[in-house]
Amino acid sequence: MSFEPKILGFLCNWCSYAGADLAGVSRIQYPPNIRVIRVMCSGRVDPEFIFDGFEAGIDGIIVMGCHPGDCHYLEGNYEAEKKFNMVEKLLSFVDMNERVRLEWVSASEGNRFAEVVTEFTDKIKKLGPSPVKDTSKAKELLNKLNALKMSAVSYRLRALVGRERAVTEQENVYGEKVSLERFNDVFENAIFDEYIRNRIVLSLKEDEKSVKDLAIELNMEPSKILEHILILKGRSQVAMDKIVGITPLYISTLEE
Amino acid sequence: MPDKKSEEKKIGVFVCHCGTNIGGLVDCEKLAEYSKTLPNVKYSEHNLYTCSETGLAAIKKAVQEKDLNRVVVASCTPRTHEPLFRECIEEAGLNPYLFNFVNIRDQCTWVHMKDSKAAFEKSKDLIRMGVSKAEKLEELEKIIVEVNPTALVIGGGVSGINCALSLNNQGFNTFLVEKEAKLGGRLKDLYQVFPSDREASELLDELLVKVKEAKKLTVYSSSKLKSINGFIGNYEIEIEQRNHNINLNVGIIVVAVGATSYKPLSLFNYNGKNIITQLELENKLREDQIEANDIVMIQCVGSRNADREYCSSICCMTALKNAIIIKEREPNRNISILFRDLYTPGTIYEEYYRKAREAGVLFIKYTPDKQPIIDKSVVKVYNQYINSEISIPFDLVVLATPLIANNDNRELAQLLKVPLEENKFFLEAHVKLRPIDFATDGVYICGSAKWPADISESTTQGLAAASRAGTILSHKTIEVEGATAYIPDWNKDLCKGCEVCIKICPYNAIVKDENNEIQIIQALCKGCGTCASTCTKKAIVIRHFTNEQILSEILAFGGEKVA
Amino acid sequence: MDSSRNVMVVGGGVAGIQAALDLADMGFHVHLIEKKPCIGGKMAQLDKTFPTLDCSICILAPKLSECYRHKNITIHTLSEVKKVKGERGNFTVELLKQPRYVKEDVCTGCGDCSRVCPVRGVYNYFDANLTTQAAAYIPFPSAVPPVYLIDGEKCAYINYGICELCIKACGAEAIDFKQKEELISIKNINSIILATGYDLAEFENPLREYGYKKYKNVITALEFERLICASGPLGGHLKRLSDGKEPKKIAFIQCVNSRSDKAKKYCSSICCMYSAKEAMIANEHDNELESYIFYIDVRAGSKGFQKFINRGEMEYKIRYVKSKIAQIEIDAQQNPIIVYEDFESSKIKKLKVDLAVLATCIIPPDGIEELARIFKVDLNKYNFIKTDPFYPLLTSREGIYTCGCVHEPMDIPRSVAEASGAAAKAAESIREVEI
Repeated sequence: MSFEPKILGFLCNWCSYAGADLAGVSRIQYPPNIRVIRVMCSGRVDPEFIFDGFEAGIDGIIVMGCHPGDCHYLEGNYEAEKKFNMVEKLLSFVDMNERVRLEWVSASEGNRFAEVVTEFTDKIKKLGPSPVKDTSKAKELLNKLNALKMSAVSYRLRALVGRERAVTEQENVYGEKVSLERFNDVFENAIFDEYIRNRIVLSLKEDEKSVKDLAIELNMEPSKILEHILILKGRSQVAMDKIVGITPLYISTLEE
Repeated sequence: MPDKKSEEKKIGVFVCHCGTNIGGLVDCEKLAEYSKTLPNVKYSEHNLYTCSETGLAAIKKAVQEKDLNRVVVASCTPRTHEPLFRECIEEAGLNPYLFNFVNIRDQCTWVHMKDSKAAFEKSKDLIRMGVSKAEKLEELEKIIVEVNPTALVIGGGVSGINCALSLNNQGFNTFLVEKEAKLGGRLKDLYQVFPSDREASELLDELLVKVKEAKKLTVYSSSKLKSINGFIGNYEIEIEQRNHNINLNVGIIVVAVGATSYKPLSLFNYNGKNIITQLELENKLREDQIEANDIVMIQCVGSRNADREYCSSICCMTALKNAIIIKEREPNRNISILFRDLYTPGTIYEEYYRKAREAGVLFIKYTPDKQPIIDKSVVKVYNQYINSEISIPFDLVVLATPLIANNDNRELAQLLKVPLEENKFFLEAHVKLRPIDFATDGVYICGSAKWPADISESTTQGLAAASRAGTILSHKTIEVEGATAYIPDWNKDLCKGCEVCIKICPYNAIVKDENNEIQIIQALCKGCGTCASTCTKKAIVIRHFTNEQILSEILAFGGEKVA
Repeated sequence: MDSSRNVMVVGGGVAGIQAALDLADMGFHVHLIEKKPCIGGKMAQLDKTFPTLDCSICILAPKLSECYRHKNITIHTLSEVKKVKGERGNFTVELLKQPRYVKEDVCTGCGDCSRVCPVRGVYNYFDANLTTQAAAYIPFPSAVPPVYLIDGEKCAYINYGICELCIKACGAEAIDFKQKEELISIKNINSIILATGYDLAEFENPLREYGYKKYKNVITALEFERLICASGPLGGHLKRLSDGKEPKKIAFIQCVNSRSDKAKKYCSSICCMYSAKEAMIANEHDNELESYIFYIDVRAGSKGFQKFINRGEMEYKIRYVKSKIAQIEIDAQQNPIIVYEDFESSKIKKLKVDLAVLATCIIPPDGIEELARIFKVDLNKYNFIKTDPFYPLLTSREGIYTCGCVHEPMDIPRSVAEASGAAAKAAESIREVEI
């Protein structure tokens, strides 16, 4: 029996959901794998939902909103796009970025809706079942996904994404604007940092570890790990538990 | 109020056949049976047409007899039928927000017609997701906002005056605030106005008589806006009239501050003496001071170029009007109009253009890459039709300059928290379908403050703003959709005050109050949810589309988390 | 005088809808009268609108929905006003309602009747007569009211007493052949707003000099609009009607039948903008497509319009050629040949294109003279409803207001603003009695 993927779609009420309805009214057929969650605006889609979806074993997730300029709530789709970019970047660390898609479908594009869903379903079929369902790799992958999710809800990344448009598209009082390139540089560094930090936090939740232990586990240089530990200490996310010989051992302060 | 969260959830599921549209492909009876196996579902049935009178009656009966407190209907699409079913359960005694809709027709049976098995499985999944969300739904109240049936119109030009008069005639107390000592705006500077060459002063006098007679209209001239607080239905305004502060309370605000005529200081050797603007020409015409015999009018001076990429729409008619006036007084004067495209759309204006041509005005088209040049006492212009440069001798050159945004638009925009577009005119909510509204509810825009407009359009837009305002002021209270964003008490500690949400909200619904706390103004919130998914501490909750509700739908589909 | 809070809005296009919504939101009751089976007017037929290039039906649909569900609005489709008596504050209006042959409150919009109807080949006005439909039909899928109807002139049962397949197919039992023409009298109307919109030149003029109808690749702007529309007959994939080829060069001919001593003297206002828009949409679908717009004056004075035109020239391969086109020739492959004046060389030249689109002029809607007679309002010399620019929105008769294209060719933003303005006048009239 061939693989039938589970596809989750977030559709905005005013454009893409209406487009999907139009496909229905026009009896345009498409594969039956997709299940839709209706939101009022694509801007409502919290990056956290995407990670929740993958953790629950969904194979492909697609977010659909109004075409730029058409958003019923004026700018929600622009924000959705920024958040989605962050999600894609995060998922690339676990090679799952091809399992998500952002598309603009308007209320009059019944055909396009069906085309998009068909194409995405085929793509996910080719990619195969989500690696989360591969029991041999699941534990490690879920751990990483958890770290990615924590990054997606971290203050730093959300503050960056939330301010991205204001900072890159509007001038401040001095008439300055940050170029998108420069922003992306900063952003990509921040994403990587937060991902590693969250992996450290999760690892230290399981057991107390030294910098060296973590460096081996995460395949990174100890000096870099130490930098992260210091920052996490500053944030009160990790603490030093005890010293064994001359080696400090750290634990996570994360509560259940 | 009793703790609703601990109340036992009793969900009723109603699966619709929709004739054969659903029932012809999937077994609705089996779907109803399946629904009964889901957690918290106490009752299920299947109907031929759930939206029919019989279907609705069945829902009401079930709610009452089975003591249901949540209803799920699996049928067509919420976009057409959700209001109907919400009303239905409200009539049965339930809060209308305790209803959830599952789309198994437009997004299932109609689009998977060749695979009835898959459509059936999908319907089951969708119903399971719908029931899961329904379990987490909460009662919501519509938000009631009191409305002060009073209006504030900022700007006493032709647009503002007409708006204020209409509001007065509709029975609303209206304050008209004008920064100059006298009402009239640019009407005061004009001589005769197109397209019938009436005297502007006569038109203005007519309006002023009406203003005097308007019993509910109070005019504050020589007054400026100092501060604005509040939101739709309840604005607290402070104005300053000759160093004297006055407080006003209004329900809505109309911006009618007009625009300014551009002075082309560095273009075409403008000197204000024999190279003047059309506005300056109006004055001379009024005083009958034209002695020039050879007049050249140049259009699009300072507009439709890199600095101002727009057409000011009224300058062509202005030039034609003034040319016709001069020709009618002295037919022997030579008048040439150098233009790029002549803007006389519609019926009356096109006719006016003919009139000017028939009066003997000469029209010469120039292209933007070959601008006319003032060379001592001739204007040199390259004419496409004859492919050569011609020199026109002149005694007087009149430059048609655009209307530009007022210098103080930025200040006013910040006070009102409304946006400006790139040319610094005010930006409406939607160029096509909401041309008189701002995105922020309760504030409206009309006349040249929005975009250069002639008297006819300014009047129309003033009336339109009065109508838009009337839709609010006509009611003692207005109801606002209940599915809004808010920060629940138990999340208040999470909020760090980072203000990212304030910037993100396109409706200016989020503010920091005097206690430095973030407040989401319920009356302005549209429930889009962008703030919640942006909030750096996940403190904001969107009613009816909460994180828990959406997560429950995700889990109902995917299955419990694999972890 | 009876204090009534009823207003009648005649015409269910975007202007009529806006006026109705404003008045209904103010708490007055509105009777919205529409001749066609559904509301939406010409705007529903457009693909995208200028200057934002947003999808027309997407931004219109919420308003149609709101109108349909509004407690204070009664929509009368398939209805025309036949008699008006009384005066401002107390009009009595008689409507003639055509039978739909479908029960409006029972029909579920499923479309089964249309699928089984054996009478095909009925021209679909919504698709500018480019497609055909069954005698049982709905003008377009998201029409409001979402109810089907049966074309009385084509239906086999109504005309010959045979068939009845739709009755058998309709699960909701909504078909009702007993319906007849109905005269409905509505009293206590305080004021009336005329918003019956416009027709286009090709509705009354065969445009023979341009080869319209004779040459398959000479089409009107409205036909082009339907062809590029995602929900139109070609699903948005533009092809020539003669041979199915994808056009690479399109000529837009401006001022067709307008600004002319031989036809209409006035300017149709919106054609400069809509031709640029259509060219831009076509180029969006096919980046190599070139457009030539043959014009007299480019009229782009409203907000964002000039910028739109500039964008078209710079980014969408639109070239402007100043030349009024008098005729179109055709070659053996059905390619239109535009004969025009070239200024740079001071010669007459010919340009061969794949498709020619006529930007036809806005004309007063069919039946306007009868309308003027029934409502006793004056028409101006162009047969539009007469208004005074200094007292806009007022007709020659007290209590009857107007907005939109029925009095002057105009674009959507102006129509919507005027509609609100007319609503203000009606509101003033009602309140005057109450205060």
